[in-house]
Amino acid sequence: MKIEDGRIVSLRNGCAISISKLLNYNRERILAPVQRRNGEFKEIKFEDAVEKAASILANAKYPILYGWSLTSCEAMEIGVELAELVGGVIDNTTTTCHGPSILGVHDIGESTCTLGEVRHRADLVVYWGCNPVHAHPLHMSRYSVQSKGRFRKGRGDRKLIVVDVRKTDTAKQADHFIQVAPNQDYELLCALRAAVSMGELEEDFIAGVPAEKVEEIADLMINCEFGIIFYGLGLTMSAGKSRNIDAALSLVKELNNRTKFLIMPMRGHFNVTGANQVTAWQTGYPFAVDFSKGYPRYNPGDTSVIDILAREECDAALVVASDPISNFPVAASKHLSRVPLVTIDPHITPTTLASDIVIPSSFVGIETAGTVYRMDGVPLLTRKLVEPPTGLRSDEEILGAILRRTRELKEVA
Amino acid sequence: MTELLIRNGTVFDPLNRIRGEKMDLAVRDGRIAESVSSRAKIIDASGMVVMPGGVDIHSHIAGSKVNSGRILRPEDHEKDVEERTSITRAGVGYSIPSTFTTGYRYARMGYTTVFEPATPPLKTRHTHEELDQIPIIDKACFPLFGNNWFVMEYLKEGKLEECAAYIAWMLNATKGYAIKIVDPGGVEAWGWGRYLKRLDEEVPHFAITPREILRGLCKINKLLGMPHAIHVHTNNLGNPGNYLTTIETMDCVADLASSGKPVIHVTHVQFCGFTGNSWLNVGSGAPEIAEYVNKHDHVTVDPGQVVFGDTTTMTADGPFQFLLHKLSGNKWVNVDVEGETGAGIVPFRYRRSNYVNAVQWGIGLELMLLVKDPWKIYLTTDHPNAGPFTSYPKVMTWLMSKDARARVLARINKNARRRLDLGGIEREYTLEEIAIVTRAGTSKSLGLKKKGHLGVGADADIAVYSIDVASIDPSRDYEDVRKALAKAAYTIKNGEIVVKDGEVVATPTGRTYWVDPKVSIDLMQETTASLSAKFEEYYTVRMANYPVEENYLESPARIEAVAEV
Amino acid sequence: MREIVLTVKRALNVPVECLEVSPNSFSGKSLDQIRGIEIWEGNRRCRLNDIFQVEEENSSASDELTVGIVGEASRIRKIGYRMTEGSIAIEGDAGMYLGEQMSAGSIIVNGDAGAWLGSRMKGGAIEVKGNAGNFVGSSYRGSTKGMKRGTIIVHGNAGTEVGCWMRNGTIRIKGSCGTFPGMHMNNGTIYIEKDCSGRAGAQMTGGRVIIGGYVPAVLPSFNIEEVRERVKVGEEKIPGPFYVFTGDLNENGNGKLFINVAKNPHLKWCEEYLE
Repeated sequence: MKIEDGRIVSLRNGCAISISKLLNYNRERILAPVQRRNGEFKEIKFEDAVEKAASILANAKYPILYGWSLTSCEAMEIGVELAELVGGVIDNTTTTCHGPSILGVHDIGESTCTLGEVRHRADLVVYWGCNPVHAHPLHMSRYSVQSKGRFRKGRGDRKLIVVDVRKTDTAKQADHFIQVAPNQDYELLCALRAAVSMGELEEDFIAGVPAEKVEEIADLMINCEFGIIFYGLGLTMSAGKSRNIDAALSLVKELNNRTKFLIMPMRGHFNVTGANQVTAWQTGYPFAVDFSKGYPRYNPGDTSVIDILAREECDAALVVASDPISNFPVAASKHLSRVPLVTIDPHITPTTLASDIVIPSSFVGIETAGTVYRMDGVPLLTRKLVEPPTGLRSDEEILGAILRRTRELKEVA
Repeated sequence: MTELLIRNGTVFDPLNRIRGEKMDLAVRDGRIAESVSSRAKIIDASGMVVMPGGVDIHSHIAGSKVNSGRILRPEDHEKDVEERTSITRAGVGYSIPSTFTTGYRYARMGYTTVFEPATPPLKTRHTHEELDQIPIIDKACFPLFGNNWFVMEYLKEGKLEECAAYIAWMLNATKGYAIKIVDPGGVEAWGWGRYLKRLDEEVPHFAITPREILRGLCKINKLLGMPHAIHVHTNNLGNPGNYLTTIETMDCVADLASSGKPVIHVTHVQFCGFTGNSWLNVGSGAPEIAEYVNKHDHVTVDPGQVVFGDTTTMTADGPFQFLLHKLSGNKWVNVDVEGETGAGIVPFRYRRSNYVNAVQWGIGLELMLLVKDPWKIYLTTDHPNAGPFTSYPKVMTWLMSKDARARVLARINKNARRRLDLGGIEREYTLEEIAIVTRAGTSKSLGLKKKGHLGVGADADIAVYSIDVASIDPSRDYEDVRKALAKAAYTIKNGEIVVKDGEVVATPTGRTYWVDPKVSIDLMQETTASLSAKFEEYYTVRMANYPVEENYLESPARIEAVAEV
Repeated sequence: MREIVLTVKRALNVPVECLEVSPNSFSGKSLDQIRGIEIWEGNRRCRLNDIFQVEEENSSASDELTVGIVGEASRIRKIGYRMTEGSIAIEGDAGMYLGEQMSAGSIIVNGDAGAWLGSRMKGGAIEVKGNAGNFVGSSYRGSTKGMKRGTIIVHGNAGTEVGCWMRNGTIRIKGSCGTFPGMHMNNGTIYIEKDCSGRAGAQMTGGRVIIGGYVPAVLPSFNIEEVRERVKVGEEKIPGPFYVFTGDLNENGNGKLFINVAKNPHLKWCEEYLE
């Protein structure tokens, strides 16, 4: 990384996404706290912004504290304490992407590993409903089919299977591409599991795939030495959702009777894994935690922020390092923009534009150090590379100030 | 600074040979003092038992697998919640409590130090994040080495000193306390879905045996001057007949002992104490193992005592956990860690009516009652594997009261009852012996010089229990004793009252202990150089990003070890 | 018979939850005591009469207690929680978790019921005149202990995962249901009178799922066993004929799927496999 005058000017060895992030993070920055009055944003002092944020949260009957995935674990820990203090719901972006994966784990469990295990041992890699060539550009060369491990020399030692609804760029590199009919992943997983445990299938076609092909894939899976399924939103977000994951986890569990087989979700969103970890060790649950009765409660579908908003059941919101208005369903976004909304974010986003109070923050991993978790649960300490613009504080500092002031307000009450 | 005077309690301080004497204890500046001024706050401990704060040598409370367990089991948490108070944070409990709840629940029982016994080095930053958020208690963690690629290669090549330096580097990088070994070689085999059953079977691709790994690490432990022995979870766990593996494991380092100091600690022996050759005829190997322990001074053990009910098993023994999943049909989490180790989690219910579970329950107690010297054995439930740590008071009453045991025995599977010797064992632990197996002995084993005793200069970690020895007979009044042990009248941590009448009244942050063996500079430089050459070949993280900095820990407490290399 | 009527006083804009809106909780209490029962409005602890107008309609010497709920109650959760006796009648819609863990007594809802209707039920009866949400009669997250006993009848439609992890009892949906009825089911009967969106009996190990209407497909892990003229639900004989499938074979299950023959001509291909 080359830094000149406190700015990152060039990078090597990063993936396309990281390069883009590190070179462009400084665009569209918010440089001072603002408050919206009569449709216009006016700059206010940090202390006033904190005061208003604390007041909004302290007075709410059912506030939500959402986002978290782009910030550090240290900031999240303060977030959990704040949610507990105000009797609100803390939730992170898991709710919109890999929530189904976690729900599947609750029922079945999960056979998984850290990424190095794949690099060293895997001779069969399956990408299901994900497109790493675009979403995780270094995945294949660093960790899976193109990588070099202790027991596998490279691409020639490994087989790649891609399952998707269309032939993606990742699929073009596959030894076997399975085009699954849209929204029928569950049936295909079910058939694969049947082929693995029972051998033959009764039907000719399952999910648009010929039975012989399904049986062939089952054979490849049984006969490999070490196989792994990486899966993404194509599986978590298509019809079936958490039950698709249930089926995938069950298939892998079944395969362990025959060989070594594992599964791993392709998490995006920077530190969403960290959000799950912090929330779980502090509250017992990995997301969608409701503190309204003074102790943690959990039931996605009920306590998940996206559902609370859709039912119009919250009366205040704090959004940290996230842009839900951009990707939530319309009904949820609408309600979010109607309630008193405080956002802490480095950038101007549709969410900040809909907020009542915006407090700008510095970037974790660039302008602030902080602990983050890789998709496979390995914790890493990101470093501070450059100074943030003058006057900008970290999420940790901002949240700490809001927590302190909220405590004072609650004590008086 | 604050001064306390604990007056007139019946003090049990086995390390200082105080065995139930009425005496006063003075506390100043967080330590036991000779005397205090008249300004001292007075605690009237008349009619109460006073002991050093509990020191738990083996309890899975923090880190990657514990958290995976939490995520696996929302249904475990739902039934046991802790509301926030003005002093305490909210949380959930039962078999895998959240971090805040863990600290409070230990403190309520009068425990003040807890050691997390198995952390995968690559993820130990996670362990420390969690440990830092467990309030009140002092803690430490044991990094796992028994399936580590560098270790296996060094030992295979006979490079004992370099391996010792590597371990020193790793203890520094992980801020770890001791050398932990789980299923040596077996978890590497599990990386391929394979199993190792015998000490002399070779690890696939590494051409080294579990015996060689155990002996190598045992020697290194000594070379590094480590305060604790190697802490070992044996091979072949959970298989009928495996008591032989336990004895073989203990014996395989017998010749490495010297000066009467233990060189190996074998943990949760109940899981590796089965006789028999099938699940239909398992029996207790406790008599045989106890006999070995009684005759040998180089080994210490803990039982991993079963408590009937629902709990969660979690260990670094990936292959064993898969077998347990197959046996029980329960959901299963597995996490293999590159180049180092693995982990497995399976919820489990121990049933009185189940023959095997009932035998397991008997094995742990038999072991505790048949090992004669209480300094060689420590009370554990391998939390949460055999039961939640909140069951310790119940287990203590089983040790102190034959009647309490008999009551449970009467309700267990009758074939198991017939099979066990337990019914015929008369021994009842005294309060002094309880103090040894829950605090004095564990501190001694861990080399914690200022813990587990109440001599002048010791950390003022004190537990006061409402047990009036004049009127209560633990053998008869075990229910009262259990209640008293579950809710300390006072728990004092570093001279501060943290629990009163079983309620948390203060939540200071405890220390995290770690051991730093001072190896010669040349050897360390050499080792670090050869390590960096290979590091990125084996790991998917950079060597610079691997170590946990001392200032990452909230309250680190470094213990230097004087190495011979 | 004693009848206590709770009328919702005002609009609710956050979730409201009370664990004691049940005949057994009200039994033996005076009206004022009932008014003082704790209820949560979001994170605010309040009294029942902050949310409801609480009145007593009838009062006779009899022990039987009925609770009536009037007004906009769709945000009120856990009505009938751990109920052990008596009856509850809800005039409009009911919120989530209606009748959770109830073991006896009856609940009737004129409108719709929210998700997790009758979750972990151990006995008694629930009847919903309108629609129900997802997870009728299910377990809690991560638990294998769904509905164990009792009857749930929904006159309208139900959502997904009806009877998830069900252990026994009967669920009858007179309308249609979403995907995955009988998910992970262990025992009991689920009768969907109309259509099912699909994936019936997924990963079931026992029990019966009966579909009287259309279902797009049957999972590949189910095998056709026979064709039956009728199937018995309680005392009633439901006329078929029905294709009877066994599964979920992926779980070594011996659950049964009864699929109406006439409504599912696209399933005719499976007749080849009949012996």
